[in-house]
Amino acid sequence: MTLEKEEHNNLGMTVKLPDLGLIFSRRDFLFITGVMAVASTALDVWGEKGAPLIIIDHSKGLVIGDPTKCVGCRRCELACSEFNDGKASPNIARIKVSRNLHFGSGGVHTGQRGEGTWGNGLVVQDVCKQCPHPVPCANACPHDAIVLAPLTNARVVDPEKCVGCKMCLKACPWEMISFDSDKNKATKCFLCDGDPKCVAACPSEALSYVSWRDLTGKERPRVVPTAVVSPSKAQTCNDCH
Amino acid sequence: MEQTKEIRREMTTIIRGKSRDGQLIQREELLEELVKQSLLKSEDIHQGSQFESALQQVVMENKDIIQLSGRNGICNYYSSLSLSETYAGILVRKEEDSLIAEIVRENSIIYPRPVPVNMFTQPPFELTEKEISDCLEKMGKHGDYQDIAEATTSAGTVFLYSNKYLDPIHAAMLAEWIDVGGVNNP
Amino acid sequence: MAKPGGWAGKVLRVDLSTGRIFTEDTIEKYRDFLGGTGIGYRVIWDEVPAGTKAFEPSNRIVFGVGPLAGTGAPCNGRTAVTTLWPTCWPKQLVASGHMGGHFAAELKYAGFDAIIIEGAADRPVWLQVTDGKAEIKDASRLWGQGIRRATVEISQQMGPEACVAAIGQAGENLVPMSVVMNSYSHSAGGVGGVMGSKNLKAIGVRGTGSVRIAGKREEWEKAVNFHLSLLGAVNQHVVPNSPQPWAEYYGPTRWLASKGRKWGSAAPSIETGPCDPHNLNRISYRTNSAAFFLGEKAWRYTVRGNGCSGCPIRCHTVLKVPSVSSKYGISEIGQNTCVGLLFGRSFFKTFPDGPKGETAIEACMVGMHLADDLGIWDNYGQMQRDFQQLYYSGVVREKLGGEEFKGYSWDRYEAGDPSFLFDLLPKIADKRGELATSLGLGTGYHLERWGIPEKDWQQDPSVAYWKMGHPKHHSSEDAGQCGVIINTQYNRDAQCHSHSNFTHNGLPIQVQKQLAVDIWGSPDAVDAVAAYSPMNVYKAKMAKWSLLRKELHDSLSLCNWMGPWVASPLRERNYGGDDSLESLLYSLATGDRKSRQELDEVAERIFLLHRALTVRDMGTKEMRIKHDTIPDWIFLDPGGKASFTPGTNRMDPEDMKVAMDMYYEEMGWDKKSGTPTVKAYQRLGLGDVADELTKIALVP
Repeated sequence: MTLEKEEHNNLGMTVKLPDLGLIFSRRDFLFITGVMAVASTALDVWGEKGAPLIIIDHSKGLVIGDPTKCVGCRRCELACSEFNDGKASPNIARIKVSRNLHFGSGGVHTGQRGEGTWGNGLVVQDVCKQCPHPVPCANACPHDAIVLAPLTNARVVDPEKCVGCKMCLKACPWEMISFDSDKNKATKCFLCDGDPKCVAACPSEALSYVSWRDLTGKERPRVVPTAVVSPSKAQTCNDCH
Repeated sequence: MEQTKEIRREMTTIIRGKSRDGQLIQREELLEELVKQSLLKSEDIHQGSQFESALQQVVMENKDIIQLSGRNGICNYYSSLSLSETYAGILVRKEEDSLIAEIVRENSIIYPRPVPVNMFTQPPFELTEKEISDCLEKMGKHGDYQDIAEATTSAGTVFLYSNKYLDPIHAAMLAEWIDVGGVNNP
Repeated sequence: MAKPGGWAGKVLRVDLSTGRIFTEDTIEKYRDFLGGTGIGYRVIWDEVPAGTKAFEPSNRIVFGVGPLAGTGAPCNGRTAVTTLWPTCWPKQLVASGHMGGHFAAELKYAGFDAIIIEGAADRPVWLQVTDGKAEIKDASRLWGQGIRRATVEISQQMGPEACVAAIGQAGENLVPMSVVMNSYSHSAGGVGGVMGSKNLKAIGVRGTGSVRIAGKREEWEKAVNFHLSLLGAVNQHVVPNSPQPWAEYYGPTRWLASKGRKWGSAAPSIETGPCDPHNLNRISYRTNSAAFFLGEKAWRYTVRGNGCSGCPIRCHTVLKVPSVSSKYGISEIGQNTCVGLLFGRSFFKTFPDGPKGETAIEACMVGMHLADDLGIWDNYGQMQRDFQQLYYSGVVREKLGGEEFKGYSWDRYEAGDPSFLFDLLPKIADKRGELATSLGLGTGYHLERWGIPEKDWQQDPSVAYWKMGHPKHHSSEDAGQCGVIINTQYNRDAQCHSHSNFTHNGLPIQVQKQLAVDIWGSPDAVDAVAAYSPMNVYKAKMAKWSLLRKELHDSLSLCNWMGPWVASPLRERNYGGDDSLESLLYSLATGDRKSRQELDEVAERIFLLHRALTVRDMGTKEMRIKHDTIPDWIFLDPGGKASFTPGTNRMDPEDMKVAMDMYYEEMGWDKKSGTPTVKAYQRLGLGDVADELTKIALVP
């Protein structure tokens, strides 16, 4: 991981990324750099008194779906899993269409009155929101296995660290974490390092890779998250807030 | 020197841009664009002018930039990266009386097949029904177009073909196939 | 053992008589037959004795998919359903139906390459297949319900991601003209009654597994993108329907996208635009089956394209026609493709506002609403052609007797009122009355029941009937002698599109001829439509190639409605596609490298097994005269035009004899009898089949 570099953020500002070694040493979880610089109160944990404290990071980009254009072919899911994992598996795809395909996001209980092929035809593509801090899946991971992907700032599951406990699956309100049972590892959207395969694969221009914006408060959750954040991590929140 | 280079670069950009929108650009329009960008003056359109020599060079240097003149003598330009010869050929003849006849003949020769009259109401032809019927009437009386014939299908759709290149019975059958048969043979 | 590439690795076997469920190893047992129809024919050959009837418990029904199903190879969504065919007349011989949708992919993700059902349950059941496990479930509450309700209830039990293939009342009631249907609009015709005879209401499949790609990721990605780059619109029409800025050619194809043509009922509407073939992100806008089949008006009702897993083409169209909701009390949303889309409309001779007016579209909506819930099959429109012919010639009135005849509102029928379909279609599913029962039998058995000689149908081009209870399917009108040969070979309509997709791809005849040189060895393999030349050996080669590619596609799970991909929309390739695409995809997916020729040989083995089954079950080696027959109307022209003059599809009987000679020769079969020789079987690794046929004296 690059520790000191200049980066252009979405807003066109250049921000200085501080050395993160210290942060890692003092805290058990990722406080990575990014685009929203928060002026520091004099926290000596940052080593150099008065240096900018950059704690809130988010992805540079985001995949968004246009349900009115989705034709329900699942090529996005296939591209995601085949080109990244070498196997066709909608279940581990990090974009999720199959689950909304037949009956829509309301589920089968809507009968023929909902969305999907059995309803009004609308197929909603579920995509990772690339949540800003605090990132629910990363926060819930007891092994800090969900880390920043260098090129995009998306969070990615580090397979070396992931032990397959599925806590992250329980943490995401949009059920966007997948689980590869062949490998016993969780996996999530990492934006294919800035060139999302799903977007390239869509035959109806229904997916776009755009600048990040915060969708976390805007899109209805699919489930109530049930993962808990460990007390030690909760303590780090107190450090800042 | 720098300036003529810039003019040529801009010319290429304008022509390619127009082609991407599915259109040809006429010589005068091209000049106008360059004048708008203060690269040239409007009086520059004469033989041997900077505009003319730049244009010639652009056509020579860029394999995709094609010059196409209509029967009216007006020069049009397009980029073959976005426009096919066929499409450009339709556009350049759009104002010409012979357009329908020529398209009908081309279809009768190369595919071979008759074409439905209502094709000429669609893009890129976009003729009105009145314009089409006027044109057909004129053609009927003109010696040059006596090969252009009609075939009407069982669904009442009128097709045109050239009896010089397509046997009338063959044309009638193909018209019926295109209009009715194809749909009934999924 | 490591998971194989492509295949799921297991075949699920279910004996509904005993309740026994077990699995077989796909590769060990069926590798030489790939999957799909290949597995189907093998199972019928091995396990279903000659003389078995379609609805007997000893008949098998095989839902087979292949190594490419569920992968990202474009157009891999079709499941082949192979069984003894209930509408095949006078003997119920082997045939296959094909359904698209998401069933094939889901089956693979659930860990199976095929489901083989035998026996019959003693009460209504449905089969639940979830991630390597199967369970027979009680269906007593589902029995009597339509496909829609059955699917929703099963989905409630299995979850919304499950894919359910169900039969309607027609299948339950053993109506031979019935379907099994999945994913709302994807049906396999002819097999609903076979499921019904086994008391099997539905198969629900849910899989969270994967299909492994054996080859390198980058190579697979390249191959998939290459395949995508060669795609045209539906039926591999590679030329747009109207002049487009990018296009050198245009023609009356099914590539309808254009400036100004919009999915009008998308909210907001979406313009299809020019769809330059190099833009792989707009492939789905090229096709609009509803607009092609129902006319310009359908654009305004189009919500979107729909179709199978992994297929960018979207040959089904989702339509929203608000008026039908108040007028007929049905859903304003409907969807299907070609024959399914036209199901309701095809019954009527006329409509008050013409064949492409609003009423015709309403008839389509009503037809889909009823037929796709009741589960009625129309045998490529033959049911409707029979109906029209029998009604307008007065036979219906004569056969029905006063009371039943009066029970139908013929005034409404003749006026083109779609509500007539509410009279007729439920009766077909319920076998109520003479007319409905007879229509549900399929043409062969229907004509027999009413004492009408099959010959009458074979002389009338307007009913488009071929033989054995089934219609022509892309015959002389599509590729002259090649189309005719293909139509002689199956025990139902031929369902082969290898040849017709090429003929109608929209390219000028000279370009087609140029491509034909590379594919079949000579420009003479193809003629301009309705301008046929006498038979030559290259046409026989094209016929053989077409048939083998169909079986290859049906076994690999590639769509023969789309493939083969030997023409493309790419000018820089001189409009050529790639004849070894199947081999490339197969080799990369499975890791079993096979060249085009080697894979064609497997296809030939599969096709030959179909032939062997037909020989065995017909009990004759006189295939040429008893099976491979050509209806009289092929040799007629309404205007009396002579064969081989421009403007007729009329074939010449003597020339067709030459054609069949050349075809048998290409296949390596006995020319005189049209029956495969021992050598032909041995050459393709079917020595065991040859031995059995020799024992019963069915080899020449």
